Amino acid sequence: MNITGADLIGAAKLIGAGLAMIGAIGAGAGIGIVTSGAVQAMGRNPDATGTVQTNMILGIAFAEAVAIYCLVVALLILFVF
Amino acid sequence: MEAAPKKKWWRWGFNRWLVLLFIIASVVTVYGLGISPVRPRVQLPAEHVPGIPIVLIVFAAVAILLSAVVHRWEGLIAAGWFAVMAALPVFLNFQWTNTLTALVIADGLLLLISFGVLRALKSGTLTPKGVAGAVEALLEYLYNITEGTAGRWARTVFPWFVTITLLVLIANWMELIPGVDSIGMLEKAASGSGYPIRSLTGGIATIFQSAKGAVVQETYNIVPFVRVVSTDLNFTVALALIAVVMVQVMGVRAQHGAYFTKFWNTKTLFTKPVFGVIDFGVGLLELISEFSKILSFAFRLFGNIFAGSVLLFVIGALIPVFAQSGFLLLEFFIGAIQAIVFGLLTMTFMAQAMQGHSGGGHEEA
Repeated sequence: MNITGADLIGAAKLIGAGLAMIGAIGAGAGIGIVTSGAVQAMGRNPDATGTVQTNMILGIAFAEAVAIYCLVVALLILFVF
Repeated sequence: MEAAPKKKWWRWGFNRWLVLLFIIASVVTVYGLGISPVRPRVQLPAEHVPGIPIVLIVFAAVAILLSAVVHRWEGLIAAGWFAVMAALPVFLNFQWTNTLTALVIADGLLLLISFGVLRALKSGTLTPKGVAGAVEALLEYLYNITEGTAGRWARTVFPWFVTITLLVLIANWMELIPGVDSIGMLEKAASGSGYPIRSLTGGIATIFQSAKGAVVQETYNIVPFVRVVSTDLNFTVALALIAVVMVQVMGVRAQHGAYFTKFWNTKTLFTKPVFGVIDFGVGLLELISEFSKILSFAFRLFGNIFAGSVLLFVIGALIPVFAQSGFLLLEFFIGAIQAIVFGLLTMTFMAQAMQGHSGGGHEEA
């Protein structure tokens, strides 16, 4: 079995896409922290659940945006280049 | 107290036995007959499907038939919608993609639901039933959120919030319908990337996983008729552009020229030397963040739903029995959450743009 340059480039692409998704670690930790804070807040003050929930979803969305950029880079590597 | 109902032989419910039957049938099909699902080709851009207008005409005919059967005129509107969409590629020169079909179907469903709710409203009942009741509950929930965030601007912002949320919700949930992403036309594949075909009846065939080591002459891939519209970047970018542009429009409408001082902040530049410069820089950063909003809006929805459909493909091929049901449930939640998040973020940005930094929005709300 001969390994050609195209095979190497394909393999490097897959490794690169995998490495790009490392950035999702931060988003995962961030979403966990946001949710834990929100759940504690809801537990202490159940009346504020609505407001806390809205802000929690907002915070999650902003934390997630970073992971989305990683995903975009991974998808670009896999499907575009 | 009514008379006790007669005991039936299916006293633990009927549907669960149907589910069990389907599970047994899938086990027999996969492990007994050796027919297992294949992993479809994953492709980023939407595929071009030429035959779609004909399918839409069929949809229109079905909608007319349905409206004739149940004596409702809403079906005629949906039929007209499908017919107009089918006629578009004839008059305008563009390629019809399979995600566009999904968008047209989602729009048609949204129209049908809207007219159903309108009919329930016009009938004057205070407790709507069925779909109208569900939509009423959803709208009430969403309106309460909007009032909490946008305060006196709630009535201006609410239509955008709900339109985006409902459209994205229906578009995302189309992923769960069997046949979406899996029924389509066969396309000859480049060597080494497709599957052999097996003819079923007439002109209908299916691709299957060939035995290891078997040499296959011609391989094919399926180009689905309908692919979930949120997996097309064109749709999500268009929605994001609409949302962000409307945020600016709302801001200008509420604050007039003062809205732009958010981006070009020279109020404190000369009065407070150090902090004025910082304020000015923050304003420029706001400008950049407006553009990054488009990017994160578009890719959040696209990334989640695209990754979800790839996940469904892979799980379906890896563990053909039972496992995909759990992931369908996961996709159900992700679809709902992404729809709500898209709408909620639009609503929050609009509310922020209208209230501004210079107070005024805080006395109510």
